[in-house]
Amino acid sequence: MSLFFFQLRSELIKLFARKRTHIGFGAFFAVELLVLALFQIDKVQKAYRGLVERAGFGSEHYFSGLTMGMIIVMSTGLLTMLFLALVGGDVIAKEVEDGTLRMALCRPISRLRLLVIKYLACVIYTFLLVLFIGCSALAVGLMRHGTGGLFVYAPEQQVFALFEWHDGLIRYSGALLTYSLSFVSVTSLAFMLSCFNMKPSAATIVTLTFFVIDFIFYHFPYFNGIKDWFVTKNMATWVFTFQEKVPWQQMCEDYAYLFGLDATLVVIGAAVFLSRDFKS
Amino acid sequence: MRGDPTGKLRADQLRNASTPSMIELRDLQKSFQGKLALHGLSLRVPRGEIFGLLGHNGAGKSTTLGIMLGQVHPDEGEALIDGISVQKQRAQALSRTGAIFEAPRFYDYLSGWRNLEIFTSYSERVPAPKMAEVVDIVGLTDRIEDKVGVYSQGMRQRLGLAQALLPANELVLLDEPTNGLDPEGIHEMRLLIQRLNRERGITVLFCSHLLAEVEQLCDRVAILNQGRKVFDGRWSDLRGEKSRVRFEVDDWGKASALLATVPHITVGGGAGFVSLGENVEVADLVARLVQGGVRINAVEPQRRSLEEIYLSITHDSATVS
Repeated sequence: MSLFFFQLRSELIKLFARKRTHIGFGAFFAVELLVLALFQIDKVQKAYRGLVERAGFGSEHYFSGLTMGMIIVMSTGLLTMLFLALVGGDVIAKEVEDGTLRMALCRPISRLRLLVIKYLACVIYTFLLVLFIGCSALAVGLMRHGTGGLFVYAPEQQVFALFEWHDGLIRYSGALLTYSLSFVSVTSLAFMLSCFNMKPSAATIVTLTFFVIDFIFYHFPYFNGIKDWFVTKNMATWVFTFQEKVPWQQMCEDYAYLFGLDATLVVIGAAVFLSRDFKS
Repeated sequence: MRGDPTGKLRADQLRNASTPSMIELRDLQKSFQGKLALHGLSLRVPRGEIFGLLGHNGAGKSTTLGIMLGQVHPDEGEALIDGISVQKQRAQALSRTGAIFEAPRFYDYLSGWRNLEIFTSYSERVPAPKMAEVVDIVGLTDRIEDKVGVYSQGMRQRLGLAQALLPANELVLLDEPTNGLDPEGIHEMRLLIQRLNRERGITVLFCSHLLAEVEQLCDRVAILNQGRKVFDGRWSDLRGEKSRVRFEVDDWGKASALLATVPHITVGGGAGFVSLGENVEVADLVARLVQGGVRINAVEPQRRSLEEIYLSITHDSATVS
């Protein structure tokens, strides 16, 4: 078992030591600062304050680091998806392209084990990336706006929530966890495609295309009757963490759907990976 | 298939037959998209030998290596390493096997040491002193903490060899390991391989399309052509069956008539040319001609270069297939 964790550690070192990871994390931080800067514009602040005040609450108390952190996390959703598609799409395909996978496959490690290690590393990476975004967004928000209540507005999920600092912080932390779980689906699809004989960039592009199309279809009025099938609909379930009374059953159903999908994708990827010939 | 034209087993072949094989390939067959890459390849490499696998690009060397490492699934046949089937028990079969390919690929953004740690972790956790010892053997101690991205081609090859030796591999498969190296690097690599074989008893399968390189390093060789084995034996077998002599005489008609009576030789292939069989001495032929009254001006050994022999073998097999 200790060898397994040693191998997993090696895989994580490979992922985190890459220049791309450093650049990516830097880019996220830059976007966070940009969102923060945009919220210094009067018109933007006015729109936000109007929203809170119309509901009969004092906007000053809720214009806090927590609220800012949540706004930033939501704003970087698309970038997060892009980055995870890039990482997941690279994990096998790039190693095949670079020839390092062939070097690894000279070793007595089984292909299945290697695949499991790589997938787990990707999932851990997903959680750590979201944790980084959440923590740095909160830190940036707190530095500029200090402590205070949390205000979350997500019209599509009909979430309009206000929490005090302590309760808000717990909800914020819980949301980061569910947000990460949602993004595992992006990682899983990119990972599966990476197992096929295709370029890493193709795996990334196909992943992004899938989620964009899924998102568009989900918003198509004709598909309302089958909207529960769309992946992006189920991924958005993390927002319910902010509902006054958390709809656990619905969230469990949505995540069960996503886990089922993730498992299916990984099994397909594994089947392809196990049957492939690796040759220069 | 050639290699033992007399059909008799020589002493070393008898010894090899009794030595346990480090590698045994049994009737390997593989095609890619309908194109045959390997056609019934069988081969035995005894333990402790440096064995050459020779063939031009596309002859099937890399496919053979891929099958031996479980990276390529054969259509038929199996590869055994130390008696264990790679296809059935890959992990056990490869537990003491290392390999490097023409240009060993590493994670350029990591140090040489970290790369070794990562690759060896796919076998087992190797203690740092053991890794340091192998790094020292390949002469990379001073640069092992540098990022691989700044390594020269020669250093990469040496790092590749280090990872192929770890954890304590007894078989090393080398696929064109001197590609991209300068003459000095090639020489160093050759000495290193010979030293490892001599001092540690490591069996080496050396794949190359460079005849001279294989000749300098290997005792025995198998030649592949279009996925078929066309020769398997010692270099001397390869050379021996092709020895010829050219006589420069005043009367070739008379000389050829005299020589035609000598057993185990073939007269022909141009005026003055004689192909020698086993145990035929040129001095005996000279004596026969002198006794027969033929005036000899010159006797010139016509040993064909290995390159010519190799080309003739591969060409013949291509014509047959």
